[in-house]
Order: sequence, then C-alpha cells, then structure tokens
Amino acid sequence: MSASALRIDGLVKRYGDFVAVDGISMDVPQGAFFGFLGPNGAGKTTTIGACVGLVRPTAGKIEIFGYDTERQWRESRRLIGLCPQEINLDRYLSIRDILIYQAGYFGLRGPKVRARADELLERFALSDKANGEYTKLSGGMKRRLMIARSLIHSPKLLVLDEPTAGVDVELRLELWDLLRRLNADGTTIVLTTHYLEEAEALCKRIAIVRAGRIVTEQDTTDLVRDRDLQDVFLELTR
Amino acid sequence: MNAVMPVNWVGLLTVAKREIVRSLKVINQVVWPPVITTLLYVFVFGLAIGSRIQNVGGVSYAQFLIPGLIMLQTISTAYDECASSFFQGRFMNSIQELLVAPLAAGEILVGFLMGSLARAFLIALLIGGLGVLLVHAVPQNWWLAVLCIVVVTTLFSSLGLIFGMMAERFDHIAAFVTFVITPLTFVGGVFTSATMLPENLRSIELFNPIFYIIDAFRYSYTGTGYLPLGYSLGAVTVLAAVAVAVALRMIAIGYKLRA
Repeated sequence: MSASALRIDGLVKRYGDFVAVDGISMDVPQGAFFGFLGPNGAGKTTTIGACVGLVRPTAGKIEIFGYDTERQWRESRRLIGLCPQEINLDRYLSIRDILIYQAGYFGLRGPKVRARADELLERFALSDKANGEYTKLSGGMKRRLMIARSLIHSPKLLVLDEPTAGVDVELRLELWDLLRRLNADGTTIVLTTHYLEEAEALCKRIAIVRAGRIVTEQDTTDLVRDRDLQDVFLELTR
Repeated sequence: MNAVMPVNWVGLLTVAKREIVRSLKVINQVVWPPVITTLLYVFVFGLAIGSRIQNVGGVSYAQFLIPGLIMLQTISTAYDECASSFFQGRFMNSIQELLVAPLAAGEILVGFLMGSLARAFLIALLIGGLGVLLVHAVPQNWWLAVLCIVVVTTLFSSLGLIFGMMAERFDHIAAFVTFVITPLTFVGGVFTSATMLPENLRSIELFNPIFYIIDAFRYSYTGTGYLPLGYSLGAVTVLAAVAVAVALRMIAIGYKLRA
C-alpha cells in the first residue's frame, strides 16, 4: 500500500469559465493530521468533493492509499470517510439506523456493524438518543452524529469539512480531543476550518489555498515560527 | 471488509430496505390514500354507476374496472416513490450518503427499483384484495399480472428517478404527474374499454403508452385485450428498457448529483 494516504496531482475543476480548483497538488502521508485552509470560495470543498467522488475533476489525478479515485473508485471510497460541512443526515432513519444503513451502503452488515454503531454512539455520547430522530438533536449533537457516521466503516482517511462550524466552545474542545485520539489511533485526518486556532492546535502540517491554488504548504511549527497563523493566513490569502 | 467486491449486494439491498422503511414511515401518505381512493372509485363508478352499464368484454363493469384501478395506482405509486425520494435526497443532500459509498450506478438504480416494487406490490395486493372482496374480480393469469406490475413499476420508477434528478423544485415533479401521467392514465382505459370509444378516438388511443399498459394488465384478469398481448406487453417492455437505460446513464454521469 502507498505511503501516502492522499495524493493529489494537478487537480483542476472548472465550472464553465470559472476555475474553482487550478492545479492543486499535495501529498498527505499516512497518519498525518493535515490542515487545508483558505478563505470562502478558495476551492477547499471542491477539492474534498473530488477526493470522495462528489465532484468530477476536469483534470488531474487523486489517489487514496494508492487507489485511483476514478479507476479504483470502490477501493478508494472504502478507505475514506467524509464529514461534510452541511448536515445531510437521513430524516427517515433513527439515529442508530443512520449509522447502520451507512455501513450497509459500504457493504457492511451483521453483529459487528451493530456493535460498531453502539460503540460510536457511546463514544459520541449519543447512546440515550439512539432510537430517536436526528431532527430532535441539538446542533452540537448533530455534528457529533455526522462525525460518527463518517467513522462507521472504519475509514483510514477521515476528511472533515469545517466540523466545528457553529458549535460552542465546550463542544469544540470535546471534538478536538476526540479527533486527536482518532489520529493517535492511526486515522489520517484532513481538516478544513475557518478557525485558525483550531488548525494550529490540531494540525501537524497545513496547506493554505487561495483562488484554487495552494499558496503554501508547511509543517505548522515552521509556518508559525515568527508570526501567528492569522497574520500568515491574511498575508497569503488577501 | 471483503477484498473483492464485484457487486455491492449489501449496499444494493440496503438502498432497497431504506426505501421500504421510508414508505412505511409515511404510510398514511403513500399507502392508505390510494387504497381509499380506489375503494371510492369502486363504490361510485363500479357499483353505483357501473350497475347501469352492460357487461364489458364478458365481465361486469365493476370487474372490468379493478385491473384499470390497480394500474392507475401502481403507475402513480412507482413514479412518486422514486421521484420524491430521489428529489428529497438531493434537496436535503442526504443522497450524498450513497454517492460517497462504493455503490455503482446500477446498484443505486436497482436498489430504488426494488424499494419501489415492494411498495407497488403492497398497494396492488391491497387493491386486488378489495377487488376480490367487493366485486369478485380475480386474475385469471397470476404470472401475467405479476409480470405487468414488475414491468410497469420499472418503467414509472425509472421515470421517477429521471424527473427526481432533473427537478429543481418539488412542483416540477408534480407537474409531470398533473400534465402527463394523470391525463394519459384517465384516457388510457382505466374507466373505459377502447371498444366504447368512437372509431377516430381509438386510433388516437394507440399513441398513448398507458393504453398499452392497462390493456396488457387487464388481459391478466379477463383473458382478452383490445390489442394482442404480445404487442401491448412488448411495447411496455421496450418503454421500460429505454427508461431504465436513461436513468442508469444519468446516475452514472452524476447528472445534477455530482458537481
């Protein structure tokens, strides 16, 4: 298996005349906690969408653990979990079934899946809500359920698109702790966020993207050696 | 997890199961209304007005009516199941659960068709049961009845998927029902036999695809049809195959699904 969890080579995405992603290349090693930052409309969500199959690239190549996302899409999708920016849970299923059905779509079923769902509900403090509807959950609980859903098939690469947007400070710190533990357990994480302190606290390496291009990619410690991340970010993205 | 997964059977069946769960969650909206509407049709048209109509094709008018009513509701159910489920999935973005999973276009399509078939058969059985109880209408050829329901559900579920993908608003889905399906169904032989129509209208009827559908299904009840069975069933099967091919292609290219 490839040493890279995610390798993007010359990714381009055009919508008519608009170029959303303009030749992004990056390499996320296995086990990394990688920050993918940029202002609104910079191309972060489009890039992530291309990695998971929600966006059809105009040009370029993406590999997940060495599997080409176009030619070997089944293998690559089995290894990646997406927690999208917007709540997109299935309103017809109970909270527990949201996890079990998602595992089903990935080809998994049986007692192991049910045990995994219960374990995730426990870990995300949702066990007492398991048979309820997600629409009755608070915003923070919905976020936790979204992350739990993205983990149900035990992906080796977890992509989080602004997972803490709109959550309170206490829950954010809780989620940070949880993500750190996931990463320590071997899950590679790619995180996009507008909270720069979040990226600085969690990510070991950061890429900053502007107008569809990566303007810098460095280890976090190098990036913030002389200045704080906000100054670096504003200088590179203005 | 399996190293090789040529067909994601578990995924496909999960899609189907999810569709069945969805139908049962909204049973008061999708199952009972067609059954109650049919009951009213049978009482008003079949028993009250129908008692004044002479036999049609060798059976009473009420018995003649039952297969037409089953098709009326099967068509509507099949279209509605797939169109509204797929559109809602797009609208709420929950369709992304399927799109990020290792599911091929064919697996998603067949999953939706199976869910739709389950709902269509449930409704057909309930209405067929009413037909047996109220007017003693029983299919003469069960295999043909089942085959017709499968083909018709496949056709209209595929159309539902196509319009569920194309629609920008909920009323776009309803527009196809209001302006195409309902008029064609009502003039397609649900309530009348082609032999009751004037000669010039009979030729126009041949351009109505739903006329072939109802004619083929009524054959399973009465053993006779206006057209030869092979002709009407063949026409419906060709239409279903085209609709499946178009829906499959649209899912495969991610039409309005993948940016």
